Amino acid sequence: MDVGSRIECQWCRSQNLPDASTCVTCGAPLNVRNLVSDSGWREAPRLRDMSEFRFGQSTCQVEGEIVPVAEITLAPRDWVYFEHHVMLWKDESVPMSVMPLPGGLKRALAGMPFIISIAQGPGRIAFSRDASGELVVLPLPPGQEVDVREHAFLVASHSVAYSYVRVKGLKNILFGGQGMFMDRFVAGGEQGLLILHGYGNVFERTLQPGESILLEPGSFLYKDASVTMQVETQRLSSGLFGGTGMNLARMTGPGRVGIQSMYVHHHTDD
Amino acid sequence: MANYTCRWCRSQIDLQDQVTCPRCGAPVDVRARETRSGWSELPAIPDMARIQCGRSTCQIEGTFVPVADFNLAPGDGVYFAHHVLLWRDASVTLGTLPLRGALKRLFAGMPVVMAQAQGPGHVAFSHDSPGEVVALPLQPGMAVDVREHLLMVATLSVAYEWFPTGVWFQTSDGDDQETHYPLGRYMDRFSAPHEPGLLLLYAAGNAFIRDLGPGETLLVKPTALLYKDASVQMHLHFERPAVGWRAWRTWGERYVWLRLYGPGRVAVHSAYGRFEDPGTNLAGSSPATSWSWGS
Repeated sequence: MDVGSRIECQWCRSQNLPDASTCVTCGAPLNVRNLVSDSGWREAPRLRDMSEFRFGQSTCQVEGEIVPVAEITLAPRDWVYFEHHVMLWKDESVPMSVMPLPGGLKRALAGMPFIISIAQGPGRIAFSRDASGELVVLPLPPGQEVDVREHAFLVASHSVAYSYVRVKGLKNILFGGQGMFMDRFVAGGEQGLLILHGYGNVFERTLQPGESILLEPGSFLYKDASVTMQVETQRLSSGLFGGTGMNLARMTGPGRVGIQSMYVHHHTDD
Repeated sequence: MANYTCRWCRSQIDLQDQVTCPRCGAPVDVRARETRSGWSELPAIPDMARIQCGRSTCQIEGTFVPVADFNLAPGDGVYFAHHVLLWRDASVTLGTLPLRGALKRLFAGMPVVMAQAQGPGHVAFSHDSPGEVVALPLQPGMAVDVREHLLMVATLSVAYEWFPTGVWFQTSDGDDQETHYPLGRYMDRFSAPHEPGLLLLYAAGNAFIRDLGPGETLLVKPTALLYKDASVQMHLHFERPAVGWRAWRTWGERYVWLRLYGPGRVAVHSAYGRFEDPGTNLAGSSPATSWSWGS
């Protein structure tokens, strides 16, 4: 195929055939304009109902728009992992198992999922987080590391390694909105697939080295591992009746930051 | 020279190649959708539409849980309830808006602290629930009354006051007496005393507007009210089946309505909060009308 005639996906940068209407790697529509705000936030592509994309030898079809479902047709020897409560249905023939996780006690104390389930192909299995929002499809090239807020990941392919990183600093733990740990996903020797669920609409911005932005901590969804997070507190005083403390997370580049507009609100001390 | 009148915000503007109203963000190329009963569905502000407010702009991003992203010019500012702030540039400074009657606000469950952000820079807001952003450009002399907790953000040129709704009723059960405020105890009033301003509200679900003629009246569920022109009057209206006194005692057989009187514009949203009426004896109320079915 003539390289010049390929269409590059604006979301994941994969190359697609000229007659493709959705990206074969992430499912993003290829025939709609890229939505980027004046301030530089790119809106995550709204995946069309029933659009399909591939990972490894398997395929994923996105169904529905308000509370979307990711239906995966697993090829033999492919497998995916997920938090068990997001599984919607599966073929009877799809075997399940549990992923061995280090630091089970720490995870349990931190409120993170203690059990990560594995589904092995061949067969079909579907996932949905039971809340309105968007699926965010992140194909991970080899070596890429992404940090995700806890309980935001829906499903990941077997070629993506799963671990967790401890949030550093007491203030970041108490007021950062992520708790003590964040999920970390790392693509190993081959490209992998990570699907997240974002509440409401999802936006992504790429920060330059040293560039920073202040976020409501509950809106944080994912970031490249190179982006640092530091919680800052601002006191809003109303005189005699006290006031309130506003905690904002300062994210500093380089790297991508993803946010969700229907954030998890964390109570402040009003 | 104005060549277009926005049917939603009534602004008269010189439309060039814009596809949305630069004052309220409403699309200019859609047909008005009006129900047979006279309600107009407020068209959702298209993704990435820009609204001009003085030297600053506001861009609406997303469709499901939309974000209002302000690009504040130096010296321009906005105020908001602090929990709707989504992100800000480091160059934007935060502070508080002085409010009178903090103690009353505290007891009424209203936000005691109103935060303000001052340009230059970007600052973005989102109400963390599915719905629509309703943009109300206020011209000097205009005033709208908004049900509490529905303000998203307003420019500093918009004056903020609050007043008792005057809509309440009391129920009694034995010696216990309870006062209920179906509309909340207080209502927010926003006006533009000197120069134009922009007010953004959050509507849960879909928003509908209707213009009432002088003396025209309408019954709405109190919690569905989004905003009304200051000229629109309101009071309570009770309905119940005329099947004996015991019917008063069960929720579901007494209906509490808000009666609105024109002239002026009223807006409702479709995902209203539930108002709990214990259904016990009615001991008193603010001015109200009533009707017993079958009587």
